[in-house]
Amino acid sequence: MTLFVQIIVSGLATGAIYSALALALVLIFRATNVVNFGQGEMATFSAYCTWQLCLWGLPLWLAIAIGLAGSFVLGVLAFRVFIRPLLAAPVEATVVVTLGMFVLFQAMVTWLWGAEQKPSPSLFPDGGFSLGDVRILASSAGTLLVLIVLAAALGCLFAFTRLGLSMRAAAFDRVRSVLVGVNVERMLMLGWGFAAVIGMVAAVLVAPRLFLSPTMMTPILFYGLAAATVGGWTSPLGAVAGGLLVGVSESLGANYVGFLGADMRIAVPIVLTLFVLLVKPVGLFGTQKVTKL
Amino acid sequence: MRNSVLRRAATIIGFVLVAALLPALLSGFQLQQVSVAISYAIAILGLNLLMGFAGQICLAQGTLFGIGAYVTAILNATYGSHPLAALPAAAAVTALAGLIVGLPALRLQGLQLAIITFGVAAAFPQLLLKLGTWTGGVSGLPIDFLEPPAFLADNSELWLYLMTLACAGVAAIIVSLVLAGDVGRALRAQRDSSQIAEAFGVNLVKTKLWAFAISSALAGLGGGVFAILNGFISPQSFLAPLSITIVIGSIVGGSTSIVGAFVGGLFITFVPTWTSNINLALGNVIYALALIGIMLLARGGVAGLLDRFTAALTTRSNPNGKAGQSAN
Repeated sequence: MTLFVQIIVSGLATGAIYSALALALVLIFRATNVVNFGQGEMATFSAYCTWQLCLWGLPLWLAIAIGLAGSFVLGVLAFRVFIRPLLAAPVEATVVVTLGMFVLFQAMVTWLWGAEQKPSPSLFPDGGFSLGDVRILASSAGTLLVLIVLAAALGCLFAFTRLGLSMRAAAFDRVRSVLVGVNVERMLMLGWGFAAVIGMVAAVLVAPRLFLSPTMMTPILFYGLAAATVGGWTSPLGAVAGGLLVGVSESLGANYVGFLGADMRIAVPIVLTLFVLLVKPVGLFGTQKVTKL
Repeated sequence: MRNSVLRRAATIIGFVLVAALLPALLSGFQLQQVSVAISYAIAILGLNLLMGFAGQICLAQGTLFGIGAYVTAILNATYGSHPLAALPAAAAVTALAGLIVGLPALRLQGLQLAIITFGVAAAFPQLLLKLGTWTGGVSGLPIDFLEPPAFLADNSELWLYLMTLACAGVAAIIVSLVLAGDVGRALRAQRDSSQIAEAFGVNLVKTKLWAFAISSALAGLGGGVFAILNGFISPQSFLAPLSITIVIGSIVGGSTSIVGAFVGGLFITFVPTWTSNINLALGNVIYALALIGIMLLARGGVAGLLDRFTAALTTRSNPNGKAGQSAN
């Protein structure tokens, strides 16, 4: 029983990272109807920049603050340069462009910093605490805490502020939002900027466990995509729940299904996603979008 | 109409000329590389059918390519069948594998296929290692050398090149027949507007599954050819980025074009060879810039540019008519 709870706790901690990336993906999907395959690699790029600032002697908190601001700018730029010209294009075209961003940012990181892994400073203290027999690492608790704060902040932004209302309106219907005086383009830009910031948070949380490497976010990206599909692409709450669900089931699968083991654990989210697509195609928390002909 | 037939004839003649001239101009090693490029081109042809004409993105074309290669190698190394005899089996098994993945994803609108296949591509190399008893694990599998017939005994590269070219020819004919027939029309209709196509009685799921099955079969055929050309395969040849590279080849060449598939195959074979001496990341930077640049500036890829160029030429020589519809 202790082992079981232990596995669940570690699954929740990994799941929190998937949730963060899924949140970023869902934010962009809601705003611009684009699945951004470049999200993870953009975040890797920001994390490397932050690491570089640390190396130049800036304190960790300042480097992260600058990194977050930088990611916001990066997200806005990516939208202006790559996505805005294609807003009216078919879905395949934008996906191909985000794949291009995926390759571009990965190549840039490899070019600037090399392919070998770099040790990265941890945000959280070493050690942990015990609840009964279950040992909880400080980093696990910290990761979950960051996710909760992030999700709550986003939820409040969308629910209670004028800005959040405008962003929701712009995501819901671009044309009619213009008519009621919402600056749609600025809202879409903000959506991309916020998403890049959230992605960077995910990368900063991942980096200390895996070391920094140009491909560190590539597997996480798939887990994030799976989490968003499981939770539903229209629902931020679904993204969080989907990420935690993916994290826990991955952790359970890797430990209890003999054939999978640690090296085939990626099969768990694939099967989970296929299952959800068969049973409830819009995702657990998603809503069916009605199209008018 | 006459114009488009003329241009199609010109394309085929140009193609045959280039294919016939290459062995005379290139060294044996370069010819071998061109053959590998053509094996990729077969997989890209399949992806063009799926992505360019059906509007579905498959990010596991490299995985399906790998399945084809492994089926060929296993049939040859374990069961002793002739490598060429294994190719149809490779295509069939790969089509089946594609359907298993595509069935749930293709039932739905949008990007589900891209997401699921992205995961499948990431899992494939691990699966190959896991199934080590069949696939030889890390050490891979050898494939028998394809003995050239007597009149080509001293030029095995040319023999392999001709074999590859024949397979590519079959693939190109299959794709053009599919596109000219009912399935092709239904595919284009559902890409342009799925609702209107459905209202006209197109069975969306069946049409997309057909496209995906044919696309996977071609990926498997390409993979089988690749395995024969290399004489040895290991999981290292079919890592997840290969699938993205194949998408890049399709887009750069022009995803609605048969000629474009060959341009794309050459692009993804020769860019890494030329750039790896300068900087390992340079090839990927070129890939990314080519991909984004083409999507933003010239959606038709290289083949689209060629098309526009020939259209301009034919218009000038034919002052009383328009250039006709662009040939696929």
